[in-house]
Amino acid sequence: MYARLLTRRAAAVACSLALVAGIAGCSPEPAATGSADAAGSDAAEAVELQIFAANSLEKAMPEVEALYTEQTGVTFADTQYKGSGDLVEQMRGGAPVDVLITASSGTMDDAVEGELVDDATRQDMFVNDLVIVRGEGSGVEVGSLEDVASVDGNIAIGEPGAVPAGKYANQSLASVGLYSNEEGEDGEYADSIADKVVQADKVGTAAQYVSTGDCAIGFVYTSDVYRYDGIEVAYTCPDDSHKPIVYPGAVASSSENAEAAADFLEFCMTDEDALAIWAEYGFELA
Amino acid sequence: MTSCCAHTTYRTGASDIMPEAPCRHRAVQLLVALAVALLVLLGCPGRAWAADKSEQAENNAAANEEAGFGLTDFTRYNVGNGRPVKDVDLGYRYPLADDANLVAAVTADGSVLVFVDNKACDVAGFAADAESDAQALRELVEKLDENVSKGGEVLADNPGRGWTVTTATETSCGAYRVRVGVEAGGRRYVSVVPSELAEGSLPSDAADEQGVDLADALLWVDTARLVSAADVAPAAEVSPGERAASFFSELDLRPLMVSLKTSALALAVTFVLGLLAAWKTMGTSSRLKGLLDSVFTIPMVLPPTVCGFLLLLLFGQATPVGQWLIAHGVSLVFTWPAAVLSAIVVSFPLMYRTALGAFEGLDAQMLDAARTLGWSERRIFARLMLPLAWPSIAAGTVLAFARAMGEFGCTLFFAGNYAGVTQTIPIAIYFEWMSGNTDVALFWVVVVILLSFLVILFINVYTARSQRYRERGGAGVARRERKGARAGAEEAADGLEEQGGDALRIDREGLRALLLGDEEEA
Repeated sequence: MYARLLTRRAAAVACSLALVAGIAGCSPEPAATGSADAAGSDAAEAVELQIFAANSLEKAMPEVEALYTEQTGVTFADTQYKGSGDLVEQMRGGAPVDVLITASSGTMDDAVEGELVDDATRQDMFVNDLVIVRGEGSGVEVGSLEDVASVDGNIAIGEPGAVPAGKYANQSLASVGLYSNEEGEDGEYADSIADKVVQADKVGTAAQYVSTGDCAIGFVYTSDVYRYDGIEVAYTCPDDSHKPIVYPGAVASSSENAEAAADFLEFCMTDEDALAIWAEYGFELA
Repeated sequence: MTSCCAHTTYRTGASDIMPEAPCRHRAVQLLVALAVALLVLLGCPGRAWAADKSEQAENNAAANEEAGFGLTDFTRYNVGNGRPVKDVDLGYRYPLADDANLVAAVTADGSVLVFVDNKACDVAGFAADAESDAQALRELVEKLDENVSKGGEVLADNPGRGWTVTTATETSCGAYRVRVGVEAGGRRYVSVVPSELAEGSLPSDAADEQGVDLADALLWVDTARLVSAADVAPAAEVSPGERAASFFSELDLRPLMVSLKTSALALAVTFVLGLLAAWKTMGTSSRLKGLLDSVFTIPMVLPPTVCGFLLLLLFGQATPVGQWLIAHGVSLVFTWPAAVLSAIVVSFPLMYRTALGAFEGLDAQMLDAARTLGWSERRIFARLMLPLAWPSIAAGTVLAFARAMGEFGCTLFFAGNYAGVTQTIPIAIYFEWMSGNTDVALFWVVVVILLSFLVILFINVYTARSQRYRERGGAGVARRERKGARAGAEEAADGLEEQGGDALRIDREGLRALLLGDEEEA
């Protein structure tokens, strides 16, 4: 009796141990992939880059990465596509990164100030336009920025602290007096739109809100129109209503593959096949 | 009592199939089953489950059988760029594949300039000046343009736009000149230059001088290969079954693996820590107990984001503590261990609370009785408290597992969203929906609902079974006694038989069984 109990217990313990071992052995590779294998003798072949890219690059970047992997064998860890501000915060939090591409100079300035990226490698990669989108076929008419105040329904705008598109949107709104701070941050929306504004945590979220019909219009980039179904451009915000929209890229200062990272940035900007992908997704080179 | 009996009778059929075993035996069986099931799951190589990104269904080719020609390799370039190609200034340029022989350039005023290669016309049997052919081509281009528009403006939206089909390689439009098939650096391009371009001057410089922005000339450019209808692979009709098959073959199942791995390990830790914490808390003075209880329970009350934020502060580079930890090799932020830690933090209170509740519900006299028999506290815990409180503990374990599986805020904050590493199912649902993959998000929602349903079902079935065991406790003891009799320990059994209480019958019987069983074994 006791012996049977013992065996069972032993079996249970063995199973649990095996389970834990299995978990530990399976793939406890941390996200610290950027630094992986740097010490290996065949480091050149086993480079894995960790890219942090602005959310709007979510559909185009994987194609460029696949192209690069095909050509050079360099692989990529799961690329993070978030609001640029979030990405910088995540880097500050200690996430291992090789390349950072943000959607505004301001967020890249933050990264430079925080010594998170190597300022010497910084370059402007893309330019983009800010547009007001509406649900496909919704018939919402926006003829000017002032018209935003009279739109029937919610307005999706990125949270200006983390989402550069939101900041640009607020700058545009400020140009017609619908937002109180010309910098696009730390201000208040005019009463006529204050209770209609829905803040999104990424520019893609703003596009998604419009696409699902939760919001009537949203402020996103031209390139976002190409990556979300069910939205169309209702109005293109004039270039002079907001600061120029540029996407700076830089190699992270903590990168252990700085050279490979710089090579990838170079590839993004010069390889003609990569340029064709950017062109398909509406990213215009700066 | 009557209802109890009725209940028991009602369940007898099932219990005959499943032989009654003492709690701890069942517990062990359960653990073994769980471990084996998880092992089987984990044994499957995760990589084989990873998404096999096969080619998407062809949506960039179409043919018009009647007209006898078709288009393949249809591509849309929404923007171009003004960079020189290998130091050759092409003005503003769009890429053009080597074998592309048809370009549809949409000008700023919405009209379409279609450039077709002369040779390709002959091969495909397309006559640029024939009305019917031009119309057929327009329909093809409009259809394919919509397929590849990625949500942008499409040609078909505006039937009134002007269409010009030409076999020339360049044409003038307003202040611009559009040229197709311009070669530079071994590749071909569609290039936009100022219409008045002096010999030897660079297009970009000329544009600057004339004050025109070459990028404004065209809205977008479609390129394709014009071929005879026979050369266009017929668009395979995709049946719902095939679509489902392709959906599942492309589905990334890693979130499930990550979720199971993370919650299983978290549960193993939570189980031990929760029980120990409950046990130790129970034995302390009331004032200390209040404090410990608050500390242990607070993660359940706090929003998970607060837990995540605190963990990030504790382990991140932003604080001295985190810097010290990182300097000493504890670098957890945005790694898998961080996901496990998050799951532990949020699931711990559930384990702890249920265990504590169960322990406190035990009859104190019974524990004292064991003490009078000289049992050590550790032995009382392992041999008396655990088995008696097992049904509650099991339920708590399942709840803790479910909580660990469902963890979102804390994990996202502290471990981030790395596919295949820290991306659990709840995080996958959020991010898949956000990036427009509603069907994938929906799939995971269904998976989670099924899992939750299983969890609840498990708790219900298990509670019912242990309830039944308790109600039939007398029978269990009787059977033990029969076994005891076989072992020749009948007198001891008889001695205890007389102590049966009424209100505390269940616990006393359990106690009796345990004490007795122990003596038998010893």
